[in-house]
Amino acid sequence: MKYLFRITYLFFAIVLFSACEDVIKVNVDPGPERLIVDAFVNNLPEKQVIRLTKSIPYFAKSGSEPGVEGATVAIVDTTNGGLKIFNFSDSGNGNYIFKPNAITGDTFTVDHNYVLIVVEGGDTLISLSRMQPTAPIDSLHITAEDGNTVGFKKGNYVELKANDLKGYGNTYWIKTFVNDTFRNRVFDINLAYDMTQTPNNQDGGEFIWPIRYGAINDFGNPGKTGTKVRVEIHSITLETYYYLNLIISENQNGGLFATPPTNIGSNIFNFNQQKKRAVGGFFNVAAVSRKEVTLP
Amino acid sequence: MKKYLPLLFLLCAFHLSAQTKFSISGYVRDSTNGESIHNARVYNPEFNIASNSNNYGFYSLELSAGTPHLLRVSAPGMSERTFTIILAKDTSVNFYLMPSAREIKPVDIRVRKNDNVRTVDISTQTITSQTIREIPAFLGEADVIKSVQLLPGVTTVGEGATGFNVRGGGIDQNLVLMDEAPVFNSAHLFGFFSIFNPDAVKDVQLVKGGIPANYGGRLSSTLDVRMKDGNNQNFQANGGVGTIFSRLTVEGPIAKNKASFLIAGRRSYIDVLAKPFLKGNLKESQFYFYDFTGKVNWNYKRDKFYISTYIGDDAFSAQNAFGVKWGNSTITGRWNHVFNKKLFGNFTYFYSRYRYNIEFSSKDANFNWQSYIVNNSAKADFNYYANSKHEILFGGQSTYYVFKPGRAVVTNKGDKTDFSLPDKYGLENAIYIAEEYNPSGKFSYRLGLRLSNFMYMGQGKAYYYKPAANEGDRRVIDHVKEYKSGEIISQYTNLEPRFGFKYELDKNKSIKGGYNRMVQNLHLISNTAASVPFDVWQPTTNNILPEKADQYTIGWFQNFGAKSAFETSVEFYYKSMKNQVDYVDGANLLLNEFLEGDLLTGIGRAYGTEFYLRKTSGKFTGWVSYTLSRSERKVNGVNDNKWYPNRFDRTHNVYVVANYKLNPLFTFAANFVLSSGTPTTFYSGQYTVQGYTVPDAGSNARNNVRNPLYHRLDLSITYNRRPRKHWESNWVISCYNVYNRRNPFSIYFSTDYQNKGSNEAIRYSVIGSFIPAVSYNFKWK
Repeated sequence: MKYLFRITYLFFAIVLFSACEDVIKVNVDPGPERLIVDAFVNNLPEKQVIRLTKSIPYFAKSGSEPGVEGATVAIVDTTNGGLKIFNFSDSGNGNYIFKPNAITGDTFTVDHNYVLIVVEGGDTLISLSRMQPTAPIDSLHITAEDGNTVGFKKGNYVELKANDLKGYGNTYWIKTFVNDTFRNRVFDINLAYDMTQTPNNQDGGEFIWPIRYGAINDFGNPGKTGTKVRVEIHSITLETYYYLNLIISENQNGGLFATPPTNIGSNIFNFNQQKKRAVGGFFNVAAVSRKEVTLP
Repeated sequence: MKKYLPLLFLLCAFHLSAQTKFSISGYVRDSTNGESIHNARVYNPEFNIASNSNNYGFYSLELSAGTPHLLRVSAPGMSERTFTIILAKDTSVNFYLMPSAREIKPVDIRVRKNDNVRTVDISTQTITSQTIREIPAFLGEADVIKSVQLLPGVTTVGEGATGFNVRGGGIDQNLVLMDEAPVFNSAHLFGFFSIFNPDAVKDVQLVKGGIPANYGGRLSSTLDVRMKDGNNQNFQANGGVGTIFSRLTVEGPIAKNKASFLIAGRRSYIDVLAKPFLKGNLKESQFYFYDFTGKVNWNYKRDKFYISTYIGDDAFSAQNAFGVKWGNSTITGRWNHVFNKKLFGNFTYFYSRYRYNIEFSSKDANFNWQSYIVNNSAKADFNYYANSKHEILFGGQSTYYVFKPGRAVVTNKGDKTDFSLPDKYGLENAIYIAEEYNPSGKFSYRLGLRLSNFMYMGQGKAYYYKPAANEGDRRVIDHVKEYKSGEIISQYTNLEPRFGFKYELDKNKSIKGGYNRMVQNLHLISNTAASVPFDVWQPTTNNILPEKADQYTIGWFQNFGAKSAFETSVEFYYKSMKNQVDYVDGANLLLNEFLEGDLLTGIGRAYGTEFYLRKTSGKFTGWVSYTLSRSERKVNGVNDNKWYPNRFDRTHNVYVVANYKLNPLFTFAANFVLSSGTPTTFYSGQYTVQGYTVPDAGSNARNNVRNPLYHRLDLSITYNRRPRKHWESNWVISCYNVYNRRNPFSIYFSTDYQNKGSNEAIRYSVIGSFIPAVSYNFKWK
């Protein structure tokens, strides 16, 4: 909505009032160095990665954060008083890996509670999460657009056929992979709160059009013939839903209708209260449903 | 107009003793068009007593019987006239004044000589329609709100931003009244123009402090925009053709001296001009705004009736695929009744609505979203002129609000999904009483008390939230309770004392002070740098408490120079505010049923000093003001619970408004604005989560950096063509932002979300160059 609004506004501003934007140099205080834990794991039978890095100054090259090695990383299943431990082994460059095994039961389970534990440099970081059930995918439907729908060029598009789970407050992250590559632009982050994008009492039915169609496809550009499109629905906790929403809004913020830059929080806590080492990042354990289709 | 004698004799019986007192009362009017003149002064120099006409032009004065008395009647922009009267009984007299012939000799634009020193009013500024038209304007369009933004203590977050900020208050904390009906969005085209047609405006009064008891409901100020009544002598038309829109106002008598009408309209024609350049689907695009003002009034003996209406909209649509529309509409009915020589009553009913509508449609899907706020209100105001020293004002108001925070329907291939949020209802009642003590001596005061009550009512749902896990966190819903129609969900009663005084040191100097408590039960939910037309108004509820402010003001007023042509004042104010609405990080404000869980409550404080120097007569007129101020907020859970500056805080503000009438043909005008940058938050660090760059602002950095200095000079030249019998016209050539300054509205950060390069800081300027404009204005009479 805000996006649309900005477009309308910019149209006027540029045409009439010669509005302009230019890149400038500013000095910013580098702020505290944080230990970042990027812990999004799921119940797929694939290698699970938790990444430990250090934050860098805002104007440093993005993605150049140094990995943190030599830490102890584990997830503990505390459901029903149990203590099942999933160890993540240090594989260098800040990556900690766990290979699940469904046969031995070494995998994450729906409705179980998990504790993430990271021990690094005298600090113990913990975080809690619960794996929520996810919405099953009925099918991926291919729609041929004739070019008459505004915003959609002629060609083939994918529509996700799936219903929100019954009950209020289910939150999902719907991911699209094109030829096995995750489409990872910020504006592609496709989140659902029940059937819609925000909490408003729409429960149990088909996901609304922008979720099941608009955001699955690449902004009205059709896929080429032979393209493999995979859609995954990851269940996320409510706090992860809000966290990802913050990433979206912070990354697309600006101009006349900018909201004040906010402090994007974290659900990771430093157990060592004395040292007050700053931390960041997020922990979520997702159940995943997925389907793949090849465009004709 | 020679029929009005300079002296008016009311020769009555002479046998009465000098001790007996009688009252003289009536209206003060403009002799050329019959417009009532408010705040005119009827003054008797012999006893040094005066009556200022009220909002409807009514005055009342007591004088001793039997002897001749001199009365000087004066008003802003009007030639003062002197009358001699002898009273033998209570008498009703209407005084008629002539406008000062402004084309012929230099004008005196002040209300009256030394009036700023003499009245109890503090922190109050009146701008006449003429002054508004003489200020160089953006794209040559004279603008009410833009003129108000040049007054001391008033700021804006930037060009193109809706509304204005008074003494560190939010834009929703100004009560903007149009013929007594509040308007909820005073802007066209986001904020580049205001909704008031300058040709239909009589004058505008801004009250920033010492707010009288008859006004209530907003914390920071009252902007009272009074529309013309309509000429009841002759038909007349005013209009103009400008770069952005054209306007036309027609007014005239329905029955001479008795009844008149005014209709005024404006429409932008960007779309009409752009049409030849648009191709294909875009040909169907619409983007325009318009407003219409209509008014009729009639006098019948002791009664005067008015009906006025305003309708205005902004509309954009493209390709039949999306359309947005927003606008205000109001209708006001008023009845003035003179009960007797001492008691004047005004009864008003108004309906005011602000609504917006957004629609997207495609072949199979349609999305329609509407939101509005409606209020229906009845009020009564009385002036009781107890004697020549005491005036009592009392009255009450009752307002019923309907809030529709969002009605949204999505249709997908025939399936309808309703996202609508439940409506909300509120009833606000207030009564007030105020006394004005205006003796002939040096000391006078105004004392007032307002009692207000707000009821948040059913039918509707009340939401109850669990306490937040940590301060500043979103609160999660605990339970929802349904209420029946008319059932009270929560209510709040507040006492609002008001006080003002003046002490005259001599006729050119005075000290004034004021105190007011204000309570606000309507809240504009907005956390963007500039408010958007889609922001939603919310009532006070069981979760949102009434906002409150206490303001203390003290000022020194002094005039000097020949004929006291220079007016100066220095005012200090301190305002403390409670229950200010703030937002959790990442708050979702639109179509969110659990919105109240995303709101935080904080306290605020604003303080500052305003220096003002105005030259009011001669060929050269204008003002210079300097404001030094601070506006801060403290919210638990934000900025580590420490005070931080509000987003509209500007430390230094310098405004210069100058007007030079070279001769009857040419007038030159200039204004200059210099303001400290607004505060903003800069990111300090970054990291990556799931491949996305996460910018890091830290937890204690809210508004820790300032945007660069803002300054701008505008110039205009008005060429008045020689007036003909029925036709007067002028050309205005203006240039906005003369020296081509690229003032940043904000600096924002563009995070490299693809995580491949570097993040950037971007300077965003709404106006990137100088903007010349020409407009042609005419008057037919």
